[in-house]
Amino acid sequence: MTACPFGTRRTRRWIPWLSISVPTLGWLVFVLYPSAATIYYSLTQYSGVPGAPVNYCGLCNYQQAFTSLSSQTWAALKVTLVYAAGVTVLQIVIGLGLALLLNRRGRLFSLYRALVFMPQIFSVTIVAALFSLILDPVSGPAEKILHGLFGASSAFLGDSSISLPLIILINVWMFSGYTMLIYVAGLRRIPPELYEAASLDGCGWWSRFRRITWPMLAASTTVNVFLTAMGCLGEYALILLLTDGQFGTQTIGMYMFQQAFGQQSQLGYGSMLAMLQFAMTLVIGGVLLFTLRRREVQL
Amino acid sequence: MRRNARDRLLRALGVHSVSFVISAGLFALPIVYLTLQSFKSYTGFLEDPTGLPTSWTFSNFTSAWTEGNFGTELVNSLIYATIPDAVTLLLGVFLAFPISRGYFKFSNALYAFFVFSGFLPAGLIPLFVEARALHLYNSQLGYLVLTSFAGAGFFFFVGYIKSIPRELDEAAALEGCGYFRFITRIIIPQMRPALAAFAVFGFIASWNNLILPLVMLSSQSLWPVTRGLYGFMSQYSTQWPLIAAGTIIVAIPVLILFVLLQRHLVEGVAGGAVAGTQPVTQTGPSTATYTETPAAGPRVPRRAKEERSHERGQATPDYRNVHQESGAI
Repeated sequence: MTACPFGTRRTRRWIPWLSISVPTLGWLVFVLYPSAATIYYSLTQYSGVPGAPVNYCGLCNYQQAFTSLSSQTWAALKVTLVYAAGVTVLQIVIGLGLALLLNRRGRLFSLYRALVFMPQIFSVTIVAALFSLILDPVSGPAEKILHGLFGASSAFLGDSSISLPLIILINVWMFSGYTMLIYVAGLRRIPPELYEAASLDGCGWWSRFRRITWPMLAASTTVNVFLTAMGCLGEYALILLLTDGQFGTQTIGMYMFQQAFGQQSQLGYGSMLAMLQFAMTLVIGGVLLFTLRRREVQL
Repeated sequence: MRRNARDRLLRALGVHSVSFVISAGLFALPIVYLTLQSFKSYTGFLEDPTGLPTSWTFSNFTSAWTEGNFGTELVNSLIYATIPDAVTLLLGVFLAFPISRGYFKFSNALYAFFVFSGFLPAGLIPLFVEARALHLYNSQLGYLVLTSFAGAGFFFFVGYIKSIPRELDEAAALEGCGYFRFITRIIIPQMRPALAAFAVFGFIASWNNLILPLVMLSSQSLWPVTRGLYGFMSQYSTQWPLIAAGTIIVAIPVLILFVLLQRHLVEGVAGGAVAGTQPVTQTGPSTATYTETPAAGPRVPRRAKEERSHERGQATPDYRNVHQESGAI
């Protein structure tokens, strides 16, 4: 601790405390308390009807979630994993491809990069409206293309077999610009001498990528994988708008939202689901960070 | 030699056309398509739902505007995006400054606690219960209170403030400058680039937030545009030209912001996120990466802009002046 130099001898003791008091208090009340209270609420039966009592019931919600015959919870955990893994892998591949293609000098290329980045400044509502129209089973252009080329038709987002992959693709469409930019920043830090030396040694495009670009981008890959995976594990706004969790797209976050703020209004059960999502994020985040960091060192 | 030049030209053309097709065709075309549909009449859309409009009409925009209540909702969105953004930044600086300087006991512990709290479960459900108990539910003021204490950017500020020399504090204090005056007149101007970046990202994040308005605001008159568009979509479910027009109305403000700040945003993402890879608890690195990243790209115009703002900065109290004065003492 260093003494604060500001104020008189009397005031300088409490000036820093005054400075942090308002933000800390606000954070305690509106950030820390709700987070911590989720743990308690997950141990209760609590209906969202105003005035309803909070009944402590131990692990009843957890028991119910994992013992009931048609366990929606297991299904939701599985969907969440598929969703997060699908988005992460696709977004890394596409983001890296875009970065390699568009990381060039010139006004036009900065325009291309801006266009790729653009979708994510839009609210999920805008993106959902856009793709609900494009994928509309009656009059959307996707239907026209599918019908014109293959004579087939599809319910798209209303079809359980492709609904989740479509939402994965929409998510990738929205956010691959971000992944691309992190890779662009990574590419610009690679010393050009490395490439010069490699081309003197007669290395081709692929071996330059494998031996120089990919290992030198290890830190960017860590950031991208971690951010994307963590984001997807908690994401449900897009799903809520596009399918409302139907047709095999109910992630754990979506299930939580539906339980807590849908018809049933089960705040206790919803909190338990929030805890499951939290546990999942913690475990996967920890494993990812550990393996990615170790990989960085090895590369 | 000439053949070599021709090959290079062809190659450049190829790269350009591939880049154009991907960025415009995959990422911009859907928006263009949506815009085209908004100019069709409903019957025109039913006859040809994919092509260009045969007769262009503005009626979708006027009826979307009147029926969707977008005017009020845009004002609401503006309120919900600007006020919490400004409060969060200001509180963030007042929180980050004494922590980064270590001006109070347990400042490191408090910082670690803040970092740790980021790993706790999402508190949406208890926040809803709390908002109802504190009468912050379904109220404009309540929503502002709920969103003003998120503390975004605070971690980054701690690192950033460390790059402002500590001697400056002592010099200013010797001159008789008070704590709050020092923060508002010296620290905040110094932090302008960081504050600007976080202000823009905070604004966009609040503007785009859907879940919190969905949970906290039940009266339609209090809705922001994101929530409003969601309601509008379910109300006019198959009237696509109308929905397209509503979507364009909602998208335009963000689109304008994007066009104006495009370079800033795009660079901010790269710089900010890369800085985030460094552990924030360490003393130096986050500031080191911050200064490193802009220089890494060939961004001449931006550097010129920085110099200009630097010149402007000389007119206001600048730490260099204070520095010289302290030297004189």
